[in-house]
Amino acid sequence: MAALAAVAAKLHEADRALVYLAADLPSETYRAAVAIADVLGAALDSITSATMSAGVIAAQRRGRTTATLGEIRNRADTVLFWGFDPATRYPRYTSRYLPDPEGMFVTGGRRGRSVISADIAADRGPADADARVAFAADEEVAALNLVRAALKGRALPNAPADSLHARAAALATRLQAGAYVAIVSDGEPAPHRDPRRTEALIALAETLNATTRCALSTLRAGGNRPGADAVMTWQTGYPAAVDFARGVPHYRPADDAAALLARGEIQVALVVGAPASVPVAIRDGLSHVACAIIGPGASESAFPSFAAIDTGRAGVHERGIAVRLDDMPLPLRPALEAPEVAAFREKWGPERPTVARATATGVCAALPATDAAPAGNHSPADGRRDGSPELAVAMSLAAAGRPQDSYVLLRALAATLAHLEGVA
Amino acid sequence: MTALRIIGGTVHDPANGIDGEVRDICVLDGRIVASLPDDAPRLDARDMVVMPGGIDIHAHVASASVNVARRMLPEEHAMDPARAPTLVRDRDADITIPRSGTGGTVPSTFTTGYRYAGLGYTTVFDAAVAPVSARDTHAQFDDTPIVDTGCFILMGNDAYLQRQIANGEHERARDYVAWLLRATKGYAVKIVNPGGVELWKRNVREVASLDDPVGDPKVTPRSILETLTEAANALGLPHPVHIHCNHLGVAGNVGITLDSMRTLSGRRAHFTHLQFQSYAGERGKSWASGAKQISEYMAAHPETSGDVGQVMFGEACTLTADGSVEYLLHNSTGRKWTNVDIELETGCGVVPYTYREKAAVASLQWVVGLELFLLSADPWRLVLSTDHPNGGSFMSYPQLIHLLMDRAFRDEQIKRINPKMLSGSALADGLSREYTLNEIAIITRAGPARLLGLTAKGHLGVGADADITIYTRDADRSRMFATPRYVLKAGTLVVEEGQLRRAPQGQRHMVRPDYDPAAERDIKEYVNRYLSVAFENYGA
Repeated sequence: MAALAAVAAKLHEADRALVYLAADLPSETYRAAVAIADVLGAALDSITSATMSAGVIAAQRRGRTTATLGEIRNRADTVLFWGFDPATRYPRYTSRYLPDPEGMFVTGGRRGRSVISADIAADRGPADADARVAFAADEEVAALNLVRAALKGRALPNAPADSLHARAAALATRLQAGAYVAIVSDGEPAPHRDPRRTEALIALAETLNATTRCALSTLRAGGNRPGADAVMTWQTGYPAAVDFARGVPHYRPADDAAALLARGEIQVALVVGAPASVPVAIRDGLSHVACAIIGPGASESAFPSFAAIDTGRAGVHERGIAVRLDDMPLPLRPALEAPEVAAFREKWGPERPTVARATATGVCAALPATDAAPAGNHSPADGRRDGSPELAVAMSLAAAGRPQDSYVLLRALAATLAHLEGVA
Repeated sequence: MTALRIIGGTVHDPANGIDGEVRDICVLDGRIVASLPDDAPRLDARDMVVMPGGIDIHAHVASASVNVARRMLPEEHAMDPARAPTLVRDRDADITIPRSGTGGTVPSTFTTGYRYAGLGYTTVFDAAVAPVSARDTHAQFDDTPIVDTGCFILMGNDAYLQRQIANGEHERARDYVAWLLRATKGYAVKIVNPGGVELWKRNVREVASLDDPVGDPKVTPRSILETLTEAANALGLPHPVHIHCNHLGVAGNVGITLDSMRTLSGRRAHFTHLQFQSYAGERGKSWASGAKQISEYMAAHPETSGDVGQVMFGEACTLTADGSVEYLLHNSTGRKWTNVDIELETGCGVVPYTYREKAAVASLQWVVGLELFLLSADPWRLVLSTDHPNGGSFMSYPQLIHLLMDRAFRDEQIKRINPKMLSGSALADGLSREYTLNEIAIITRAGPARLLGLTAKGHLGVGADADITIYTRDADRSRMFATPRYVLKAGTLVVEEGQLRRAPQGQRHMVRPDYDPAAERDIKEYVNRYLSVAFENYGA
């Protein structure tokens, strides 16, 4: 418990803290992590800000038309891969969703679908596409807008063959022929991509729905990154880049974790999740602040920390919910869950969000003596486990040499900080 | 053991025939009891109005679709930050962490729970949950404190159900309904635009009538309505099918609404947000109120119930499984639009919207809703809702109650609205009815409880859950109902002197109907073949 107490003490003492949601933990852990940021008045961010913010903001500006993965598998007879080949980065997408499998309304699997590849400079779509259209990198956004213009009946008449207008119009014709069109793009960042692409793709999908049906399917990396977005959204109203400094959530997409770290505003950071998933720019910033890491592979982090607590990994050791890239919530069924964790979750799951005061006082007992939390008669090294379900589990796991459970630890930390901050 | 004697309040408990009688209410361990020892703690409610806790029969507060709307509305949240409440700190009890959040038309979860409780509401049902993402709803409910919760499961465009209808397998359809409710921990069957959402996915923008085929000729809006209604009633569910009809929000839709009602004549059925379904006139030509026709039908058919879905002027967020409607709204308003087609089950559409007094259609909608209330022959069967956040936020309920209770207040509002479409309107011609406190207690508490089959809620008889709201009497009904003096949830005093002081976790209401286990095999094959979620991972 000494490490957890040290994390609590540092966070409590900091004038400006950051809670950063990294990947590979269940949504339940993120729920407790957001509570910690709220209690502390901290900044709160996730991988999404560094990787998907263009898409998030575009969708906030104009909405988006999309579908779950099962829906496009069952219905999409026309599939446009925009500047990428899923087989290279998302190999299971091809066999599970598009374009290979059969669908309820698409017989013949791959043969039943018209696959179009839009090749953007060197970013080529699937090699076996039924049709291809190529655009230079600096033509991309203009091309998307011209496809929309053509769909609205405003194509340039008599455009020279192979001109940008003609290629865009030809693509529009192919898309319009589809009964249900899926536009598939890669949402993960790449330095050479035009950041305006995301909104232009959203606009194209929207326009197609005037005459046919269309869903935009934006792929992204796994590890429950969308779960962090979902939890932040329902608890704060915002999917990323939240600041609780004024006692309420403020949305600061321009002042995300990377910006706050770069400006030296953060004194102490708590990374909740696998440090290996933290984007490089954030890692650099974190290496200049006092950083605690609670997550899978914490002790092997490439950036330094004053406390690193290794936890299990979502779905391997830890149960709960993981959210897929299409916002579908899936249950995690860990093969290596410790029995005491299973028992804890059955009795003390997030449907019972009150937490034991004994946990808070137990962690505080492991703190150096302060006015806020006198150590009393308890050993500073061990904390007090009497009556605390969280600490009983944590100490049992430690004694057995197993990884800690992130949800148990984050609950304990949230209770401790609520106690120290005097809000509960 | 927590005991409390609420003394001297003027009690409105219509389920027990009590209309404004001064009497004591005794609470012990979360329930109402006949008596307590004389030395039990007391709460002085003299000169105050005591009612059961409010029950929202139809709102959108916790689902993947609600979260889509939340994510879309940073501008609203920025305008309405919500501080964490200052809760009572009991050093001997477990810790409840008070949470900040944001409001607007689609508040964050903690703020939703706190604000409902702050209005004296203690039970809320989410009215539209896609089965495949029900897990998300329950996770959001876990973060929605104080209020009891439950959810209705969308089935009106479910491809598996349509297969059973096409094959004439009505028993299998019933088994599927039961299986789906258990798998998703749902409370009731929800139908949205029967068949119409499936057709929207096939680029058919709207059904023409209840007899339009949805693929197979045997599958029609009418057969979907009949199959699900029969299934829900045969299963003995506490709440009957909860129906959002076809043609929501378009002129002349009162015809298809009445056709739907007649189709289910003699069978229990609940028709939701009827305001949006009660327009006379003709599409593309004229709008008029159809409230009188709906009211007359309901008066003659005691098996039918409904909620109003009142429009309130100001900001709203339209949020529905009825995807095609949202496309039309996006197209007509130019406002941002999200659509999510949810695999073989349902849809989701979101468009922010503003109801303006000076807009002719919004004015008509406002009038139609009030007419439904004021022409209603039986408040037990037509209860209050704004279809939050579609017609307006639940935070506008106090003002809506004021409109119903105070004709002068209503008439002032009528003077400000656009009269263009109001010729022949009963309200414009002068409906003088004013709801009494007892009728308000019926349409916000006792009625919803009875329609939902919640026997321990909506009343203050012995054995009822001690969900109690105590108001300071005030002629300004908006103010009175916006700021209850005390609120008890399951016997815990959550609001004291108008301040939120405790935030216990509410209960989850769900049903577990029986079904033939042999039905599971086919369902399993179907789920594993067509859905992207494995059978073992389906549901909640």
